[in-house]
Amino acid sequence: MKWQRLLYNNMSPRILLRTFQRISGFRFSSTKPAFTSDRYNVKRGAYASISNDHVAFFNELLGRNRVIVDAEECEGYNIDYAKIVRGKSTLVLKPRTTDEVSTILKFCNENRLAVCPQSGNTGLVGGSVPVFDEIVISMKFMNKIIETNELAGVLTCEAGCVLEDLDNHLGTVGLMMPIDLGAKGSCLIGGCVSTNAGGLRLLRYGNLHGNVLGLEAVKANGEVIDCLNTLKKNNTGYHLKHLFIGSEGTLGIVTKVAIQCPPLPKAVNVALLGLNSFEKVLKAFRLAKAELAEILSSFEMMDKRSIDISFTTFGMKSPLTSKTDGHDFYVLLETSGSNVNHDEEKLGSFVEKALADDIIEDGTLTSDPTKVKHIWALRERISEGVLKEGYVFKYDISIPLSSYYKVIEVIQERLRDPRVIRISGYGHLGDGNIHVQVSIPSYEPDIASQLEPFIFEYVSELRGSVSAEHGIGFVKTKYLHKSRTSSEIKLMHQLKKLMDPNGILNPYKVLHPLEFPA
Amino acid sequence: MEDYKFLFKVVLVGNAGVGKTCLVRRFTQGLFPPGQGATIGVDFMIKTVEVENEKVKLQIWDTAGQERFRSITQSYYRSAHALILVYDISCQPTFDCLPDWLREIEEYASNKVLRILVGNKIDREDREIPTHVGEDFAQRHGMYFLETSAKEAENVERLFMEIAAELMEQARSKELPRYETNTTSINGKTTSIGDTSNCGCSRLS
Ligand SMILES: Cc1cc2nc3c(=O)[nH]c(=O)nc-3n(C[C@H](O)[C@H](O)[C@H](O)COP(=O)(O)OP(=O)(O)OC[C@H]3O[C@@H](n4cnc5c(N)ncnc54)[C@H](O)[C@@H]3O)c2cc1C
Ligand SMILES: Nc1nc2c(ncn2[C@@H]2O[C@H](COP(=O)(O)OP(=O)(O)OP(=O)(O)O)[C@@H](O)[C@H]2O)c(=O)[nH]1
Ligand SMILES: [Mg+2]
Repeated sequence: MKWQRLLYNNMSPRILLRTFQRISGFRFSSTKPAFTSDRYNVKRGAYASISNDHVAFFNELLGRNRVIVDAEECEGYNIDYAKIVRGKSTLVLKPRTTDEVSTILKFCNENRLAVCPQSGNTGLVGGSVPVFDEIVISMKFMNKIIETNELAGVLTCEAGCVLEDLDNHLGTVGLMMPIDLGAKGSCLIGGCVSTNAGGLRLLRYGNLHGNVLGLEAVKANGEVIDCLNTLKKNNTGYHLKHLFIGSEGTLGIVTKVAIQCPPLPKAVNVALLGLNSFEKVLKAFRLAKAELAEILSSFEMMDKRSIDISFTTFGMKSPLTSKTDGHDFYVLLETSGSNVNHDEEKLGSFVEKALADDIIEDGTLTSDPTKVKHIWALRERISEGVLKEGYVFKYDISIPLSSYYKVIEVIQERLRDPRVIRISGYGHLGDGNIHVQVSIPSYEPDIASQLEPFIFEYVSELRGSVSAEHGIGFVKTKYLHKSRTSSEIKLMHQLKKLMDPNGILNPYKVLHPLEFPA
Repeated sequence: MEDYKFLFKVVLVGNAGVGKTCLVRRFTQGLFPPGQGATIGVDFMIKTVEVENEKVKLQIWDTAGQERFRSITQSYYRSAHALILVYDISCQPTFDCLPDWLREIEEYASNKVLRILVGNKIDREDREIPTHVGEDFAQRHGMYFLETSAKEAENVERLFMEIAAELMEQARSKELPRYETNTTSINGKTTSIGDTSNCGCSRLS
């Protein structure tokens, strides 16, 4: 038994988990979404249109292989993962170096050509695809690892590396990425940084404002800003990296990233728990914090209607069997630590107390990589599976834990419409962040208007955030003011003006000067 | 947790495939699951039963028999009130492994834990371990003994009910503090429950 366990540890559980399948290629067989510009009635900014001369310049710079003009091929860059937006770009560029990005931006800035930076295109707020004919700058080819400092635990790489690839690489030297999310097989580190993505282990490792030590970015005019610091501490002057973390490609294009990486845990355990009320989910969280303290690395909750997507759409089996029709709520809990026995001791006592205090109905606990992967997949495939139902209104909100699940009940109450397939909630409970999803066969403006602005106002009243981790992108620009004060928004506009005076970087996103129809 | 007086932790161990999960599912859900897969890690659940008009909660831990699937081994023995050690009456190797299981129990469990030896699958025609052999083994090691069939629902209910009754009796007679205090000092020397003479369940401790 000892031998088995040691072997497993050496193979690093996390590497084994990472075999989780990459998001399968986009399927455009079903109906394409309406053009964003039509659905939202957007007015095109005063930008130049792409001419043959422009294309010739890019062909000269990158070679024809990295300049995509084929309409069919461009379509994949015009539609987002969740198929809620669709742009009309006719030109995609694929730079390989910072110099190339710099030359592209300098040229675009001088010629008033708008651009849309794109990484894995998994963003969920319509920020990663153009609205009109903005030139897509795809970062996929900037995927070199520059340096891995094992001792300091610092990775320096280009912005286009796939998150999962980085994690697999780090696993070989006993380190891991401080960020993990369901889109890890497709999203790129630069995309994560640009959205300040949170993910499944933020609870433990914190957000990217802390974990990104430095970065390199290119401003709209082509100027390269080198703040590729790799020190853990460097309080000198302004911390400019933060301008590029979470600004969704509106202030510059991130080209390189230095990120701090925690050691790969020796022991990883995952539990799936079945509970019969949200109140008990909160109790379980409290107990987990008390009993598991520093080894707790994830605490995710799913309601029945959310996890049902994984059961029915993908035919995945529930590992919990004591109740034939399932539980009202589920908790996925992960611990990561450095000492197997120590962690097991804590988990054993957590489970015992949770059972004794009637908090959980049943549960399963394992460190077996295959089962761990299966349990994680039940959680991670929800957002992929719900898309198969049609159009999905998705809200990613932060609200105080006391009202965390109430928002779902409120929407269920408000939206009694036979067209609605599912209203469900799941998310990073440990971070006070819930994902609300409402699915219907296809987009309906009147359903949209029943949901918005209602939900944002509701969140705002609770002093929550209208976008906890997905960002503002295109679809939430109207509601930025619900979570930011006017003084903040004013400074944002000033910064934008300073860094991108011609407004060529990802226009119509985050800050929106144009009016939307109600 | 207000509406019950007793809470006991019952842990099932034994070789892979002897029917631990089927016994639990028969007891908790009243069914015999077709194609039950191997347990990976440990599954736990609550089942409330009534003994002499008292509500007793059983916290059941169903562990993996396969070595490579076992986890938190030490913790699940710790503070267990009863251990059900299961073998398959139609499979000699599962019986031969019992001493190994006992060694593990000695190592991790409280020495006062209630221990029950269960020979499962008595519905099978190809029996390899005669009842008296199982009984002898149990007697020698101070364990209760019972033969069951998860498939035919034979003695399954009874297995858990007797455990509940016995633990309740012990707790009462020793005026044991309740579960919350985390004590595991269950004393085996109490009076017998029910009539055990003609049902294959003998008190042996
Ligand atoms: C299944 C699934 C699960 C998800 N889970 C989570 C989650 O748990 N937590 C979370 O926070 N998000 C989650 N997301 C949302 C999304 O995956 C993340 O925001 C991710 O970080 C986006 O990365 P990307 O490479 O796909 O970027 P993209 O979608 O391509 O781009 C995102 C935004 O950043 C800009 N951008 C991209 N690259 C650059 C660059 N190099 N420089 C400047 N700007 C750039 C784009 O213009 C766009 O505005 C999930 C998405 C899916 C599909
Ligand atoms: N005939 C018969 N078969 C049984 C009985 N109980 C279990 N089985 C069968 O034995 C096999 C194993 O049963 P499980 O309950 O999964 O065994 P287990 O002890 O939980 O196995 P692990 O989880 O691997 O430790 C299954 O194919 C069951 O159908 C029984 O009472 N009679
Ligand atoms: Mg089993």
